Amino acid sequence: MSASTATSSTATQVLFDAPGPKGRRRILLLSVLSMLAIAALLAGALWQFHANGQLDPNKWIVYLRVDYLAFLGQGLWGTLKVTAIAAVVAFPFGLLLALARISRFSLLSGAAITWIEFFRGIPMLLVVYAFLLALPAFGVTFPRFWMLVIPMILVSSASTAEVFRAGIKAVDIGQHEAAAAIGLSRRDAMFSVVLPQAVRLVLPSLILALVTLLKDSTLGYVVSYNELQFQGKTLVSITRYLVQTYLVVSLIYIVINFLLTRIALVLDARMKARAASS
Amino acid sequence: MIGFENVRKEYPGGTLAVQDFNLEIASHESVVLVGSSGSGKTTLMRMINRMVDPTSGRVHIDGDDVASLDPVQLRRSIGYVMQASGLLPHRTVLDNITTVPVLRGTAKREARERAHELMETVGLEAALAGRYPSQLSGGQQQRVGVARGLAADPNILLMDEPFGAVDPIVRHELQRELQRLQHELRKTIVFVTHDIDEAFLLGDRVVILKPGGIIAQVGTPQEILADPADDFVASFVGADRGARTLHIERVDGRDVVVDADGRPAGVLAAQTAGRAGDGPMGERPS
Repeated sequence: MSASTATSSTATQVLFDAPGPKGRRRILLLSVLSMLAIAALLAGALWQFHANGQLDPNKWIVYLRVDYLAFLGQGLWGTLKVTAIAAVVAFPFGLLLALARISRFSLLSGAAITWIEFFRGIPMLLVVYAFLLALPAFGVTFPRFWMLVIPMILVSSASTAEVFRAGIKAVDIGQHEAAAAIGLSRRDAMFSVVLPQAVRLVLPSLILALVTLLKDSTLGYVVSYNELQFQGKTLVSITRYLVQTYLVVSLIYIVINFLLTRIALVLDARMKARAASS
Repeated sequence: MIGFENVRKEYPGGTLAVQDFNLEIASHESVVLVGSSGSGKTTLMRMINRMVDPTSGRVHIDGDDVASLDPVQLRRSIGYVMQASGLLPHRTVLDNITTVPVLRGTAKREARERAHELMETVGLEAALAGRYPSQLSGGQQQRVGVARGLAADPNILLMDEPFGAVDPIVRHELQRELQRLQHELRKTIVFVTHDIDEAFLLGDRVVILKPGGIIAQVGTPQEILADPADDFVASFVGADRGARTLHIERVDGRDVVVDADGRPAGVLAAQTAGRAGDGPMGERPS
């Protein structure tokens, strides 16, 4: 970590002149002012909450109740389950799509391009509606769980396909040459030389794709699947504590996504430290 | 034996890399193709393992036209050492060396044992086996590249400017090692470089190429130096500048050999005898 911080700071020094005494004073002043402005905004919001009685401890204490927490926990479990299953299917599928897209067979690559561009281009909500409203009109119905997971897989496979493709393209062209020169077939070269390096390169981006997937799972409320957002919604209809519920739910999302992002950063740093050659 | 017969290579768009090339390379011989960029030297070498296919003409190995051989099998039977080593960054030194033998069906354990022997042969410490290429110095990486080239015990070794990316001291050391290896192993080596000194040092025969893969002169280093075929060769080997005409100057009571530019090239042998014990420079990881 310290090494990467050092390089980035030197990069900053190369790109920008270090601020002089005047500049430093200006930066300090602006920092203090903006901090004050943010603090004022927060205080204002709190004051507003207070004025409307939203800070009443009784409205918050319920979130320490075991049954409420269990209810939200159920939602969290649903969210994690949906995300995990979507990821486990969508990521390998995305890899296959990426391989198909760069294939020499134009039929295969054409099909992959169509798939990727289609599902990358439309909002996931529309896909969910297709499964909720359009397909049942033709007599095709799915359980609620799959009405959420399948659209997640379709959309995520398209975007991760592009992540994988970027990774494959990012592997040094010399690696293809080197692999060919020592007698690896095109397939051997792809699977034992290019892909292992490509996957390592895109691992942090994949974790970010996981964060996106987790946030997409909130569309579960559309199909009434018991994920966190939907549980929150139900809780609101019971307690009528709209602000409190959604703040608690947001906090849970933020904590989970923060953890995932941290993992991505740690992986990134570890990879850079290990085999950042070529 | 490797033979080139009327080989021509034209790239789409009309670039003529090689016009009409003929050459025979005897078994156990080391031949260096030397020329400036655009001379077609790398293109020619790559025709041997079918990384490049000639537009017309044929390349044969021991009588077999390479065009009739499966490129993948062919490449596995020929050692290849490339510039900046071309090692696989995600694999350890040992795994890099064993890649080809394992692909050819050698048992993993056997391949590993052989890899350890090869590491010793090319002068790599056993402790480096588990390292990744990025953890090695340029010279060490190049040694791994040579070990990998030799791993499947090929008869032919192709070397594409293998020492171009290392500093002069390490390069010299690697050149010496290669000479020693060739003395022991007697492979057929085709070596590509733009450095005429390297060519003279390593080649039993040297092929000097003009742009378009035209042979300016073929011969032993002695023949070429003693009798350059034309002005092109003379200027390429530096004979016209007198860069290779050495003379003796007396400095502090010693006879110093000096080249045409007045740079000292060495001291006369009789006077260095007393200091002959100095070992070669050690190589340090960067």
